[in-house]
Amino acid sequence: MTDNMQTVMTPTIGRLARRSVLWVVVIGVIVLIAGIGLALAGSSQDTDPMSARSATPGGAKALVEVLRHEGVTVVIADTLAEAAKAAADPATTTLFLYDAYYYLDAEQTARAMKLADTVVVLQPTSDALAVISPDLALAGYTDGTREAGCSVAAAEAAESITTTGDGYRILDTDSDGRAAGCFADGDVYSLVQVGGRTALGATTALTNGEILSEGNAALGLNLLGSTDTLVWYVPTLEDYTTDALTVDELSPEWVQPVTLTAFLVGIAAILWRGRRLGPLIVENLPVTVKASETMQGRARLYEKAGARLHTLDSLRIGTIARLATLCGLPVLATVDEVVAASSAIAGSDPRVVRQLLVDANPRSDRDLVQLSDDLLVFEQTVTRNLRPH
Amino acid sequence: MAFTGRFVIAVALGIVPVVYFNDASAAWWWLLALLVLCIVDIAIAGSPRRLALQRELPGALRLGETTSARVYLTNTGRRRVRAIVRDGWQPSAGAGPRTQRVSVPAGERRVITTTLTPFRRGERRAHHVTVRSFGPLGLLARQASIAAPGSIKVLPPFNARKHLPSRLARLRELDGASSVMVRGQGTEFDSLRDYVRGDDVRSIDWRATARRSDLVVRTWRPERDRRVVIIIDSGRTSAARIDNEPRLDTAFESALLLAALATKAGDRVDLVIYDRRVRGRVQGATGPELMNRMVTSMATVEPELIEMDWTVVPGLVRSITSSRALVVLCTSIDAPGASRGLLGVLPELAKKHLVVVSSVTDPSVLATAAQRSDRREVYLAAAAERALLDQARVSAAIRQSGADVVTGAPAELPPALADRYIALKAAGRL
Repeated sequence: MTDNMQTVMTPTIGRLARRSVLWVVVIGVIVLIAGIGLALAGSSQDTDPMSARSATPGGAKALVEVLRHEGVTVVIADTLAEAAKAAADPATTTLFLYDAYYYLDAEQTARAMKLADTVVVLQPTSDALAVISPDLALAGYTDGTREAGCSVAAAEAAESITTTGDGYRILDTDSDGRAAGCFADGDVYSLVQVGGRTALGATTALTNGEILSEGNAALGLNLLGSTDTLVWYVPTLEDYTTDALTVDELSPEWVQPVTLTAFLVGIAAILWRGRRLGPLIVENLPVTVKASETMQGRARLYEKAGARLHTLDSLRIGTIARLATLCGLPVLATVDEVVAASSAIAGSDPRVVRQLLVDANPRSDRDLVQLSDDLLVFEQTVTRNLRPH
Repeated sequence: MAFTGRFVIAVALGIVPVVYFNDASAAWWWLLALLVLCIVDIAIAGSPRRLALQRELPGALRLGETTSARVYLTNTGRRRVRAIVRDGWQPSAGAGPRTQRVSVPAGERRVITTTLTPFRRGERRAHHVTVRSFGPLGLLARQASIAAPGSIKVLPPFNARKHLPSRLARLRELDGASSVMVRGQGTEFDSLRDYVRGDDVRSIDWRATARRSDLVVRTWRPERDRRVVIIIDSGRTSAARIDNEPRLDTAFESALLLAALATKAGDRVDLVIYDRRVRGRVQGATGPELMNRMVTSMATVEPELIEMDWTVVPGLVRSITSSRALVVLCTSIDAPGASRGLLGVLPELAKKHLVVVSSVTDPSVLATAAQRSDRREVYLAAAAERALLDQARVSAAIRQSGADVVTGAPAELPPALADRYIALKAAGRL
């Protein structure tokens, strides 16, 4: 028999494609809208700290634009080579250097510092600090608003700034007194000038977000706008150099394609194991309830409530019923009759038996266990004595 | 489409030319060659969609037995189908082996046989057959699941039938047909025979003795053609498991043993499985047909999570028979609260019929009541004693209503109920 009516549950590739067309279109439209939206919003904006192109609170576009407006030629340099090219005439050039990520090594720092006669280093690295003066030492974090209190013209013009950032100490060995420290908190200075080189620790003072506070703007404009040209140099990853060979250079050429192939093998293995041999089959499971659950629940309830007398009474009722049967008493026999009959058979004092079967009140779990044991023993005694010898 | 282990190995082998030639492009050439091979392979593979399926199923089997189900695969396509086939049975059908390899040439037919050892009662279903057809290279496969519904009925096991021969022998003793010749205590007149020393003097027929001038006794045989009505409660309490067997299944076992015995004894047996709806009903069948219809109607009944409605039961019994009958109620008598419904209708039933309530008891309760070595066990023992007391109280209440009670562990209840039936029959109380 050829059954042409049989239905195939697995969709063909064509049908699968037709069925998923709607979803592909929907997802495509979403991706397109998101792409257009992102492109219009210009998400690729520069957000590096102190970047001259960044309009974010951490950038420095505000200061740079004002300097440009005042007639200073600002050249933005991303690498040391660009900076060197821009600083053609050291005498009329100010170099701004901010190496937040320590891209420059000692030699590069020294070279950069010599590009211009006037150099302002924001949060100098220890290398840069050594170039400015060997007598300067990093004094850690400082903050708050500080008065200028020194003879540096730019600082005097600013009167006070917010000093959030590093502070520096001028060591005793600075015998010639060339170093001028400003914005002091005790002996810790946020700005130190040695000759034409200035170390500024207040990292946030010149940012877009903080430039309007106190005399921050005056300090920035006076410090950086004293010459015709300003080279704004914030080193990038391109400045980073190392002598060590990379893994790429050390390994043979086939490593990369083999890694790629291994990745493809992994995907193939997923596809291999991932396809189930037919859909899952539903099983209706039966209800399963353990009959003893109510009994266990009741036991826990007794235990939790500490219902010792109630517990013991339950045990006693069972024992008395069995004793009555053993002694051949009718179902309607009273407890007193059971006590009398069983104590006679066991040969024990009726008062003791009555105490055990009726009167005793357990004060603790220990009593309870003891009494329940006594009940069992008594029942066994009666049974034993009834058995014909 | 499905991938094979061979395909994964083939992709992995691409590493060899890459390392040998030390060139990345070798990997791409290898993958291109593999792609071509795959396309060829899948193009040559026989279509699983062109297989016509035909099931051949056994009708029914008892739980615990093994049977085999066949699926005929007819290749209506033009290419040979080399495939692994999986017959999609429910897990509880106990189907094996899971997959089978088969090769069907174009235009021919092959069979796959799946052995089924179901481990649950009821209707066990198969939904589909999945075929994964490989190409000649075994790199890729075409896969399709073809709907092929089928089902087998798994009947209650009737393990209690091992008790049947001994009970039938007892029944024959009652009948006087057995060689033991113990005279039955029945109430129906059978025949007259000569007095033999040892016969009950009360059974001497004086009128016949006077005619024959020789002592003649009447013999009796157990009554026949009585009605036995079995009502099984499939409500919520029947779901509880005792000794890893639901109460309902124990009730089925007892009902089957009783029915087998009663129908052999010449009584008419009717069965109703009820909670708030009639779940199964067997009426007016005798002999092998009765047993057959009983197991068939029991097969698909599962415990329902609803309360049994006892108020309808007298009406049910009345609809089955208007004459006096032995009414067996298979239910549970655990707690006075839960048995209130049952106790409410018992007097009405017992007025007209002989009522026996059959209930499973938990053998572990007795053991728990005697086990009192530490604090927790004492509390447990108290709860067990309480459960026993509840049971005793309900039993007493049932007896007071004029009905009879049979209780026992799951393994002992069916023979206990059968024994009670024989005892009632011997006493002529039916």
